[in-house]
Amino acid sequence: MKGLGLSLKALLSHYWCYPWQALFLIAGLCAGVALWSAVQIINGHARASYEQGNQVLGAQAYYWIRAKDETGVSTADYAQLRRQGFREVYPVVQGVLLSAKQQAIPIIATDPIALPVQAIQTNTSATEFNGLAFMQAPYQAWFPPSLARELGVQVNERLLLKDGQTMPPALLQTQTQQGRQVLLDIAPALSLLKRDKLSYLAVTQLSEPEKTRLQQSLPAHLSLVENRQSVDLSQLTQSLHTQLSAMSLLSFAVGLFIVFNAVRFSLWYRRPTLRTLRLMGVSVSTLSLAIAVETLVWSLVGSGLGLALGYLLSQSLLPTVSSSLQSLYGANLGSDIIFQTRTLLWAWLLTLGGLILALALPLWQQLRLPVLPSNTLSTHWRSDQRTRKRLLIAASVLALLAIFIYPLIHQLIQGFILLGMVLLAAAWALPALLASSLKLLEYLLPPDSFKARWLIRDGWAQLPALRTAMMALLLALTANLGVEMLVGSFRTALSTWLEQRIAADFYVQGSSQFKLQTLLDDPNTADWLAAVNERTQISLRWQEHPLLLRGVNPSAPDSQTISFTQALPDALKTWQAADSQQQWVLANEQLHYLAGVKLGDSLALETPQGPVAFQVIGFVHDYGNPYYQLFLPNSLLKRYWPHAEPWNTSLWLKDQRFAAQAEQALLKAGAKAGDWVEQKTIKSLSLSIFDRTFAMTAAMNSLTLWVASIALLAALMAILQERLPEFAQWRALGVNRLEQWLVMSTPLFIWAGITWLAALPLGALLSWILIHKLNVMAFGWSMPLLWSMTPAWHLALLTLGVILFTLVLVAWQLRRKLPQALAQLGAQA
Amino acid sequence: MLQLIKVSKAFPQPDGQLTPILAGIDFQLNAGQSAALLGASGSGKSTLLHLIAGLDTPDSGEIVVRDQSIMTLSEAKLAELRRHTISLVFQQFYLISTLKVVDNIRFQAQLSQRYDPAWEKQLVDRLGLGDQLQKYPHQLSGGQQQRVAIARALLHKPALVLADEPTGNLDEHSSEQVMALLSELVKQAGSALLMVTHSRQMASYLDQAYWLKAGSLHSEVIDT
Repeated sequence: MKGLGLSLKALLSHYWCYPWQALFLIAGLCAGVALWSAVQIINGHARASYEQGNQVLGAQAYYWIRAKDETGVSTADYAQLRRQGFREVYPVVQGVLLSAKQQAIPIIATDPIALPVQAIQTNTSATEFNGLAFMQAPYQAWFPPSLARELGVQVNERLLLKDGQTMPPALLQTQTQQGRQVLLDIAPALSLLKRDKLSYLAVTQLSEPEKTRLQQSLPAHLSLVENRQSVDLSQLTQSLHTQLSAMSLLSFAVGLFIVFNAVRFSLWYRRPTLRTLRLMGVSVSTLSLAIAVETLVWSLVGSGLGLALGYLLSQSLLPTVSSSLQSLYGANLGSDIIFQTRTLLWAWLLTLGGLILALALPLWQQLRLPVLPSNTLSTHWRSDQRTRKRLLIAASVLALLAIFIYPLIHQLIQGFILLGMVLLAAAWALPALLASSLKLLEYLLPPDSFKARWLIRDGWAQLPALRTAMMALLLALTANLGVEMLVGSFRTALSTWLEQRIAADFYVQGSSQFKLQTLLDDPNTADWLAAVNERTQISLRWQEHPLLLRGVNPSAPDSQTISFTQALPDALKTWQAADSQQQWVLANEQLHYLAGVKLGDSLALETPQGPVAFQVIGFVHDYGNPYYQLFLPNSLLKRYWPHAEPWNTSLWLKDQRFAAQAEQALLKAGAKAGDWVEQKTIKSLSLSIFDRTFAMTAAMNSLTLWVASIALLAALMAILQERLPEFAQWRALGVNRLEQWLVMSTPLFIWAGITWLAALPLGALLSWILIHKLNVMAFGWSMPLLWSMTPAWHLALLTLGVILFTLVLVAWQLRRKLPQALAQLGAQA
Repeated sequence: MLQLIKVSKAFPQPDGQLTPILAGIDFQLNAGQSAALLGASGSGKSTLLHLIAGLDTPDSGEIVVRDQSIMTLSEAKLAELRRHTISLVFQQFYLISTLKVVDNIRFQAQLSQRYDPAWEKQLVDRLGLGDQLQKYPHQLSGGQQQRVAIARALLHKPALVLADEPTGNLDEHSSEQVMALLSELVKQAGSALLMVTHSRQMASYLDQAYWLKAGSLHSEVIDT
């Protein structure tokens, strides 16, 4: 133990003298762990929120009472049930309001007296719940603080809505499971939404006899359904969370490259200490144990700091993720992070595992050397050459393996393993590519030029120290390019699709009091209305998944321009004809990619008349939709589901100048302000949901690049320290500053250029795999890959900036330390 | 104390040929004795020292330290041997640059659990290191660093001190001072000393001298 303690003291004293090395080690660990744990914290929080998904406002909702025609539950029906003694039933109103600034405000409302919880908990306010203030005019609107920030709402502010109404005074506090919604009392909510019916009734746990009694007491138009929200949410959001995890693991891997580099350098610098310790009788096993203890210390410090940083990061990323999850899946995430011990343990284990991985190779290389190695430059080069060769062989094997397993991949997780293999193979092959650039330079530069020879030899000397940093840079550049291309391609595909899908000028909500027939009966309507598509919908379950059936008018303009991803011959005409013998439907491509449905397949669906088979005639894009969806002519939908609810009505104007006239006509036909949205509003809303969804990806991507930049800085600082006496010798020999910088930085710029060039095809390959394999497997959306050089140029500029910044830092260090190195040179002479 | 029996070692050349460096060396050093090992550059002096310290292995022959053959010892046992029995002093000092002088001096003594404060004080005083204890090695001159290395090597009173050109980095005046102190303090510690040098002057401080030439060891009489 004495030997271990002394060895540890000697080994750790290194960081006391070279604190920046400890800083880089911690920075690498922290950066990797922070990003990884931030995503894990968010994922864990989201899953915990989904598990609470069966709760509505803190009360466990095992069942819902819904209207069979989905038109809502009347307050009279609710009051009747309460009078019959069903205290387990409480009312819920949910909807979306539109602010005067066209911002969507999701709201949820209940009756606090009926809510079967001990007491209303206010988890962000020190004040007691004031029931009277909540339930009496002017009422209260409880805004989650993050949503209030997003909407720019201040305390006590009465937010103005598009239809001229104002919300109750705002309070910044939340109730359990409120998520990203504003909580109100039932009365103001119904008034603001201009409804007279409750969305549904939630029911807490019931014994079997109570359940039967409740079922028997329900009026015919209401039904008791099991609340499967948490199961559905977990299933639907699984892909998104897996993608986020994969992104965070990528940045953890880049972080590991820094740690690997930092560990390698720290062991390399401590060669003399290790040698002296061994000369004085410290055995290899004691040294290994001492370094293992050091690893444990670093992993504790790194994971602790990384987790703290990750927690802060998750706090800042949570609003973005919450709003994406709500926009895409209707999932509500609480605004206060639910922190889990499992996450903490995993973060630490991952840090420890990563550190061991990063440490094992350099330690093994260091300790298997003889105590007094013949440490000449030529042996060092030879060993580096061997390492490059081994890495290249490993990269080739990995690449071949990736090609072999590509056709066998059917699961998202396998897809990410494939991505990991491709990225790792590329990173491992890079040192060989960098070395060949030096060989090419040797061939191209004049052999009789001393400076050229010097530059090349110096390049060889820098390569071992810089290769890991370049590998980290390649990973970060590739990931950035690949994801940028994915996002760019997706945005273009979505815009094109929206152009076709959102073709009408106005969309009137199905839940409004608008009557199409009233509008059509008005003789003036013909002056401005070009076409109309009244759509209906019904939601079912198919193969344990939610399935939406959408009824459309097959002769409406947007039904003429449907573009298929796959279709049987004459699909559009056959579908429009709505054959009563063969029930042809169009399916979204999610059904094809996620459920394995093929063209011509029959889907047996439950109808009030029993199961009916519908045949798929074509598949269409349906971006952003997590649900399976079928499109069928209204006539067909109504034939089997007469109670299908209205979805929306789209109106085409003869000319844009009739917009005001159309709005007046809509008001006359029963619609209220706020019941309809214009085409441009939907498009911008869709694109903003898209941008929000990818905001986190973009944030993680740029952070990954910063992690790689730290690796580069660490490598350059390490080279500086290692070669300081050599630089002093150069100065002593009369080498000027410019010559020194030229020799030092030329290989760096050449290699950064090569790394950037290598990242271009790799980025394209990555986005190709992401688009054609992973995206399809995760979400069921297909799209063409669109190549653009703009992100590549941006990254080139950014990389250049990082290199220049690190060089300035190194120059400053050199300026500070060189005089001392020169003085020591004099002392030795 | 130390016995070498027919020790041979050859090194491969770039063309693949083996060049013998040591050819059947026989040698003996008793407790408390000191000997110098002289020879031209590349004659194998340092190699022989490394073999004795267990840092390298001979191709054939046997090395016995304190009646124990070191040929069959594991890496861990060799480390133990160096920790308790053998001390090394090198031309390059091999101090731990990140530890202060005082910690460097005490390192091996604490490792072998033979730390003697009185002997430390004596060593520090004799070597003139009293004012340097709280400094880092790079803040000392070459001669001072070598004195630290000597103090470290002798503090735990090892049975055998192996010195590889300990004055090779020092000027003439410092070399003489260091050599005088080394030979005196080794005697005081009761250790045996085998020192590699190419200076007859330095060799004259020790009891015996040997000349290593063409792989063989020849006894040498030094005129002082």
